[in-house]
Amino acid sequence: MMKTRNVITLIYVLALPIIVLSLFVGPTQSAGLGAWMDALWGRGTNTDLVFTVIYQIRLPRVLLTFLVGGALAVSGCSIQAVFRNPLTDPYILGLSSGAAFGAALALATAWLPVQLSAFVFGLTAVGMSFFMARKNNTVAIVSLILSGIIVSGIFTSLLAIVQYFSDPFRLQSIVHWTMGNLHLASATKLKMAVFPLLLGSATIFVYRWRMNLIALGDDEARSSGIHPGRDKAILLIAATLASSSAVAVAGIIGLYGLIVPHIVRMFSGPDNRQAVPLNFVFGGTFLLLIDDLSRSFAGLEIPIGVFTMLLGGPVFIYLMKKNNIGWND
Amino acid sequence: MERLTPAFNVENLSFSYREALVLSDVQIEIAQGKLLFILGRNGSGKSTFLRLLAGLLPCRVGVIQVFGRDLKDIPMAKRAKMFGFLNQQHQAVFPFTVEDVVLTGRASYAGFSPKKADFEVVRETLEKMEIGYLRNRIYSELSGGEQQLVMLARVLAQQPRILLLDEPTSQLDFHHQSYLFSLLRTFANAGLTVVSVLHDPNLAFLFGDDFLFVKEGTIFRPPNGIEPWDAGFLNEIYPCEFQSVPFNDRAVVFPKITL
Repeated sequence: MMKTRNVITLIYVLALPIIVLSLFVGPTQSAGLGAWMDALWGRGTNTDLVFTVIYQIRLPRVLLTFLVGGALAVSGCSIQAVFRNPLTDPYILGLSSGAAFGAALALATAWLPVQLSAFVFGLTAVGMSFFMARKNNTVAIVSLILSGIIVSGIFTSLLAIVQYFSDPFRLQSIVHWTMGNLHLASATKLKMAVFPLLLGSATIFVYRWRMNLIALGDDEARSSGIHPGRDKAILLIAATLASSSAVAVAGIIGLYGLIVPHIVRMFSGPDNRQAVPLNFVFGGTFLLLIDDLSRSFAGLEIPIGVFTMLLGGPVFIYLMKKNNIGWND
Repeated sequence: MERLTPAFNVENLSFSYREALVLSDVQIEIAQGKLLFILGRNGSGKSTFLRLLAGLLPCRVGVIQVFGRDLKDIPMAKRAKMFGFLNQQHQAVFPFTVEDVVLTGRASYAGFSPKKADFEVVRETLEKMEIGYLRNRIYSELSGGEQQLVMLARVLAQQPRILLLDEPTSQLDFHHQSYLFSLLRTFANAGLTVVSVLHDPNLAFLFGDDFLFVKEGTIFRPPNGIEPWDAGFLNEIYPCEFQSVPFNDRAVVFPKITL
């Protein structure tokens, strides 16, 4: 017990130093910690360059990466409680395919800014899944997952059509986008995404204890005085808002919202009062570390979505084998 | 003596799943402070009736009144303080601790975050049920019977005036069955209304004050002058021959076995 408590403390304590230190990681080797200190004291030669790189390029990227990671993890955690299923995440509802199609359409036709189009179609896909599954004012979990799969299929086909008719240059940027693209982070993107990312995450934070009750089942929630339908709808909207904004600014970071909540639960246990805040901090820090690593390979940056899977997959499997993950059946 | 408002007053209640009529024109009054058992065959509509009382199924035809108020007009959070409902079975998905599970019963009091007093109620409830030692155990790793006791503790932590229980002893061993029924007896003696669906008529006859029988969509009490443990009467409910054996001032029944 004491050991996991120490890990939790460590996760919270290390978050801020990692955010700060991440400012000094990147392909511009001359803008490291030492150069920044020098620049602060008015020493060194290219002070302006150092400040520009750190404040205008790295700071927005670091903050955006942290927020995206935290929001994806928190959304995944809440979706798993809502569906009473540890194998779901926002992408199950068709979010990623919808957003990928939206981005591709915008890249191919320039009808809307890429992020906005991704956001709109991400929301559309989740909305479609939700309304297709709705019958007699209730949404059965199985129908929702089924309609999510179907909506995903539809948008994947539409994406293929857009790709098929795009010229090679545009095709390349579409493929890049779908692999996750934090290297295009900017202050503008940060400003655009910060509000929905935080609003979605904060809503889930407020509902974190109620998620325990929702995870017990509808009858249990209803007979304890909670409208399960209303709470689930609020949590779904919050998770979709947060994760579609994440997809809109960072592309598809596959399975992040599935893996992180599992890792976090190994430390915090399933009680969402502890798990939700820990997901946000750990999800943010972990994505930041992955991004730091990917930025350290100067000149050759691996897209974050690909890198996350390559790193997160084995980490997850290792932890699953090593710890008793706690799923009995 | 002034007559207490009934805990439940059901009038002209009918209910159907799609086209199949499950309950038809039910008229029943359930008194306060009694230990009442609902008996009947599998699929006769016992659980449906209980779920209607609990407000978990919509009452479209007829009226259900709780303490004189139409159930439809009572907001959900208020209902939770009036009656608690124990499901027949519960499938745990996440490995919550027992304390976390029981704590969720406080949702109508605690809103978004449980307070110190809520933890206190949880602790007292577990102690009262003599399962305090389970508090930090993982709910999904408990035996079926222990899980059932924990779920009952969850309902009790809700501090309702009525308990609606669907087969509360289905998973319990012999000791826990008699323990649970004595507990329900104490609750009823203290003024709590207990309405429980039950498969075993003998346990009902040993502990109960009042008995409802469900057959082919109708709900009724034994006719005047006939005791519920009457072998002839029971034969109308369950299609087998019974033998009634006197016990204290009541009786227990056994199916007649021809070998």
